[in-house]
Amino acid sequence: MKKIIIFTLAFCLLLSFGVAVEADSLDGELIIDAYTSDPAPRAAMNEMVETFQEMHPDLDIELNITAHEDFKHAIRTWLASDTPPDVFTWFAGERAEYFVRNNLIRDITHIWEEEGLFDLYAEGYQRESIFDDKAYFLPHQTYIWGVFYNQEIFADLGLEEPETWDELIEVNETLKENDITPFTIGSRYEWTTAGWFDHLNIRINGFDFHQEFVTGEVPMTDDRVVKVFEKWKELIESDYFIEYPASYSWHEALEYMEDDEAAMYLMGSFIHDSATDELSEKLSFFPFPAIEKSPTAVEAPIDGYMMPVHAQNVEAGEEFLRFAASVEGQQNWVEDVGRVVPNPNVPEESYDEETLRERELIDGAEGIAQFLDRDMEEDFAITMMGYLVEFWENPEHYMDILERLEDERQFHFEQ
Amino acid sequence: MFNTTIANLIGLSWWKKVSTAIMFVAVLLFVLVWILPLVGAIFTALRPLQDLRAHGFWSIPQEFTLENFAVAWDLGNLNTYLKNSFIITIPSLLGTLTLSSLVGFAVSQYKFRGNMFVYLLFLSGMLLPFQILLIPVFTLSNYLGIYNTYLGLIMIHIVFQMGFCSFFLTNFMSTIPSQLAEAARIDGCSEFKIFYKIFLPLTKPALAALGTLQFTWIFNDYIWALVLIRSDSLKPVTAGLATLQGQYTTDWGVLVAGSLLAAIPTIIVFILLQKYFIKGLTMGMGK
Repeated sequence: MKKIIIFTLAFCLLLSFGVAVEADSLDGELIIDAYTSDPAPRAAMNEMVETFQEMHPDLDIELNITAHEDFKHAIRTWLASDTPPDVFTWFAGERAEYFVRNNLIRDITHIWEEEGLFDLYAEGYQRESIFDDKAYFLPHQTYIWGVFYNQEIFADLGLEEPETWDELIEVNETLKENDITPFTIGSRYEWTTAGWFDHLNIRINGFDFHQEFVTGEVPMTDDRVVKVFEKWKELIESDYFIEYPASYSWHEALEYMEDDEAAMYLMGSFIHDSATDELSEKLSFFPFPAIEKSPTAVEAPIDGYMMPVHAQNVEAGEEFLRFAASVEGQQNWVEDVGRVVPNPNVPEESYDEETLRERELIDGAEGIAQFLDRDMEEDFAITMMGYLVEFWENPEHYMDILERLEDERQFHFEQ
Repeated sequence: MFNTTIANLIGLSWWKKVSTAIMFVAVLLFVLVWILPLVGAIFTALRPLQDLRAHGFWSIPQEFTLENFAVAWDLGNLNTYLKNSFIITIPSLLGTLTLSSLVGFAVSQYKFRGNMFVYLLFLSGMLLPFQILLIPVFTLSNYLGIYNTYLGLIMIHIVFQMGFCSFFLTNFMSTIPSQLAEAARIDGCSEFKIFYKIFLPLTKPALAALGTLQFTWIFNDYIWALVLIRSDSLKPVTAGLATLQGQYTTDWGVLVAGSLLAAIPTIIVFILLQKYFIKGLTMGMGK
């Protein structure tokens, strides 16, 4: 009996000692899977994980970076395996919700509460991270979409950033008179066209309608949708774009801007990563001009982190999320990659002039659209983008194209 | 040799000479077209990204650098990935060849009930498209606990390549006269020794040809590595290189430099074994 008591006591002592140690430092293996395979984000991700490693030297961190496109497919098998990652990078909004609906994601509401994120993060971020009143997604960084233009050309021709549709048309006409194509676009990979659709739709019909549209409940032949295509057709038929956009990828089309043959590009701020340093310095951006609605909603795809339900090292994973929500965990993405981050306590000095403007637009936005192929169900978004490219080739047949797209929509959503 | 060629040319009719010339030009053209992508790759690997961005792919390079290779090797983790590729490829190759040569021997040299069935089983395995196997294999390896390990990938390579190899070796071994085995048997040779001492040496050219082919296939495999391996530290070079591809921007110079480095082992194997490779492929054609 005595022996047992001593043994139990010793065991308790050992246990409390173990607990005490654990409270101070994390150990075990932490697996982070990321899709940050572009050169600049890859470096930033490595740096971020290194900083976290320094804070927790006993933790054995494994960071796996997979090509962005492959990651999107492979993550499905990873999440289904018995050994999923502890933390993984993912998209906000409908893409995140898809995994949440399939019960693959851990509820992280308590992290949001403990770190005070409900008060800290702007409304737009929360709208894309919280589903059924529970937080599942931790927004980490974003970049804005806007019209990027060559300041030198604008200055030479005495042009100013257009704020309304009519001003935009004026700018386009002036550029054309000077033998400069107003807009470049490369649509071999179809998503670039979706940027135009999103912006026209948000500015003509408003953010709320756009949110309704991406659920797939609005008929394609609806008057409001038709109006978007009529406006768009005007632009294409006035030759405001380069010829044969479908023969270029988005960065091949950038060469028109490198050679000063085109002046503007509707694109995400990652355009700076692909431009030469020379062009990058000349670039600035303005939000897509107002048409019927003023530009209060922005398009800014949010990247962040989630934890799988079956994460092995929950404690370390949650600690990493806390770190990712903090100023230290976000600052280097602002400084090195030029991203905008949700934590408002990241000092203004970290931002450059352009990204600071991006931040103001995002924080003040009534809503943040995530881009068509992230907002809409993926399969249908891909189908729709194919039709958008076809429309670009034959703008006069827009009604016919919309009718066929409507058949696709009914087939897809109403089965 | 040279003299006879000249003599032949002189002796040839006018038309024959012209057709030889046309043939030569046509072959040269094909070679040029064939080699163009490789030349493009080498140039891309040698120029800095800024140069590529400013002037496009089809421009004349303004400056050359070897930095891309260094970056691919170091930051691109190519050293780890290449090591992994060998850790995966060599056991897979040995396993496949060992097992399928045993199958080939058994099926071709022994008459037993279901002999044909076994043969057809391997043949049908070969005809199965791998795409439909992706999910079942993933589930199985997850269930067996070999998901995200070298072993899991090696096993699937062995099993998957065995269909073709068994088919190939069965056909090859059935051309070896069974009298050889009978003679040995009369002298008291054990069955395994017959396989090991008589049939295996005779099958060498076929094994070398298969080995070359299999090495290339397994070394260049991408899809299984993507499905069955998640950790960066275990990825083979194909899956590893793919991670250099970005969403919006890709450092093409580094990616291509890495690909060129990754191609070297396959080229070496091919050069070393090409003699057998051609022999093995054309074997039995003259009958």
